[in-house]
Amino acid sequence: MQKSPLLTRRELLKVGSGLSVGSLLPFSGLSASTLRTQAHIVIVGGGAAGMAMVNRLARRLRGGTITLVEPRETHHYQPGWTMVASGIWAAERTTRLNAQFLPRGVKWLRDYADSIDADSKRITLVSGETLEYDFLIVASGIQLNYHLIDGMTPALVGQHGIGSVYAGIEGASRTNQAIQTWLQSGHGRGIFTAAPTPVKCAGAPLKMTFTTLSRLEDTGRRDAFDVDYMAPGASLFSQPWVDEFIKQRFDSQGVNRRHHYRLSAIDPQAKQAEFAFVGPESEFTSHHQLREAEFRRDDQPTVIADYDFLHVVPPMSAHDFVKQSALIAQDGPFRGEWLDVDIHTLQHNRYPEVFGIGDVIGAPINKTAASVKAQAPVVEENLLAVMQGNALPASHSGYTSCPMITGIGKAMLVEFGYADNFAFMPSFPFIDPTEESWAVWVMKDRMLQPAYYAVLEGKA
Amino acid sequence: MSINGMLTILMYALAPFRWLLIMGLIIIIALHLLTYRRGYKITHHRSRLTNLLALLIGLTAILWIPWLTHSTLGYVATVFDWIALLGAAAATSVMAFIILHPLSYLISFQDKE
Ligand SMILES: Cc1cc2nc3c(=O)[nH]c(=O)nc-3n(C[C@H](O)[C@H](O)[C@H](O)COP(=O)(O)OP(=O)(O)OC[C@H]3O[C@@H](n4cnc5c(N)ncnc54)[C@H](O)[C@@H]3O)c2cc1C
Repeated sequence: MQKSPLLTRRELLKVGSGLSVGSLLPFSGLSASTLRTQAHIVIVGGGAAGMAMVNRLARRLRGGTITLVEPRETHHYQPGWTMVASGIWAAERTTRLNAQFLPRGVKWLRDYADSIDADSKRITLVSGETLEYDFLIVASGIQLNYHLIDGMTPALVGQHGIGSVYAGIEGASRTNQAIQTWLQSGHGRGIFTAAPTPVKCAGAPLKMTFTTLSRLEDTGRRDAFDVDYMAPGASLFSQPWVDEFIKQRFDSQGVNRRHHYRLSAIDPQAKQAEFAFVGPESEFTSHHQLREAEFRRDDQPTVIADYDFLHVVPPMSAHDFVKQSALIAQDGPFRGEWLDVDIHTLQHNRYPEVFGIGDVIGAPINKTAASVKAQAPVVEENLLAVMQGNALPASHSGYTSCPMITGIGKAMLVEFGYADNFAFMPSFPFIDPTEESWAVWVMKDRMLQPAYYAVLEGKA
Repeated sequence: MSINGMLTILMYALAPFRWLLIMGLIIIIALHLLTYRRGYKITHHRSRLTNLLALLIGLTAILWIPWLTHSTLGYVATVFDWIALLGAAAATSVMAFIILHPLSYLISFQDKE
């Protein structure tokens, strides 16, 4: 069913029978006004994006009901997993209880969303409970599709030389152990991979390579180790300057780059990995193109490589319950895999009462917590505007950021947006995004986690 | 990023060390109160050893601050890196002085008694 991106007058009246602009109270100097409403707003997913929205809306709305659907008790600070997998942080440093961030008055359903019927504005939970909504914010993050690599399951991480920074906090800890075991063996081949789909924190596979290179150099026997990086596309990173920088740095640090290969299968017992050649003549030359249906293609030539350590980056997509709903993109580069939103207003392209935020949305870049920080005020303002029948006032620039760790102890503050082929958007005039810096490393090590929690509480 | 945003993040960054900072502040204030009651004045008491020690602690901080942050001096590279590191070292020196100076007075006071 196609709808215009504005709510009809009838829908507005139904939602907001008591809808009026409330008192113009400033809240921590952040938001301008509160809105009196009777609407039911459901937020699916209470990660970085969902929790930020819960806090922001709880401050802005008076009356009405906010329901959060989030199955987990524990909140994970995922940007810290790179530090854990690199042996720098203890795992405990990355977890907190979700309850700590939840404002009063919000109804929290500890369950998984099982399906969304966008036409009837209804969500069914795994328990069978159904929820009717007036407005919906989809913030369910990313699904890790390890199953698209034959022979691979997350349970293998930490065994047979397999690591994967994405496999949860336990996976990150076990990745560190796998790297440690490889280092202690004193020699051998490490293969680092990237996924043929968009991934959360596209810099993470590169950071894992760089921190492991630091650890290899610290052994004093760097020459005894071979390091390969297998990329499905021609580029390693979406920002062109950074892409070129990393390629040069890999070359100078003795990393063998191979392009147009994706990890297609592993044999953990034999410590062998199979790579399918996906280009360059193939239509899948960009690592942002492959869809689930296109994974199993028999005509792709493959190569088998022995490894002593393998860093697996799974293909990623929106969760199945989003993919099976009408909310999924129907055409364009994100079809069948990601939530169909306008990448600037973050409103759904066909269901105006639905917004998307965070990793789940179909956007050329943006799967970072830094993007969530920039997106949250946009969703807040635009949702409130839709609730009042106003035009959408806020627009997301595509801001994303990745403290690109180029070695243990140094990093580059890479910030960019949609405009001008992902041109840099530095937040601090005194930090050059093209320079490796100790201070940026300190930011990653000490400052970004508190900044992240400020975002969750809707204060940054 | 706005100044307000930076301050918010700074407050969040310091929050886990709140009690440590409060304890440190209490100890410094208590030390100063104790010594003031025994006639100590920051401008009158001279202690070359204290000055030297505070300076040394500040100078060595240039080495151990990067180490404390899982890094090394070799990665302190940009102008901003050096400003941040020298600022942190200077602050360490001042802190060392604020603690050592009244302490040295106390020690010399006890020696006189
Ligand atoms: C290794 C790694 C390193 C990273 N490094 C950085 C970095 O340096 N900088 C940076 O900015 N970002 C980084 N990120 C990315 C950042 O963590 C994510 O972009 C951010 O968490 C996205 O927020 P989100 O709310 O969209 O998804 P998430 O935070 O993943 O939250 C999704 C939530 O949805 C819930 N959910 C899932 N399924 C359902 C369901 N069926 N029903 C209800 N709820 C559901 C989940 O339980 C989860 O709580 C990194 C991520 C990883 C994995």
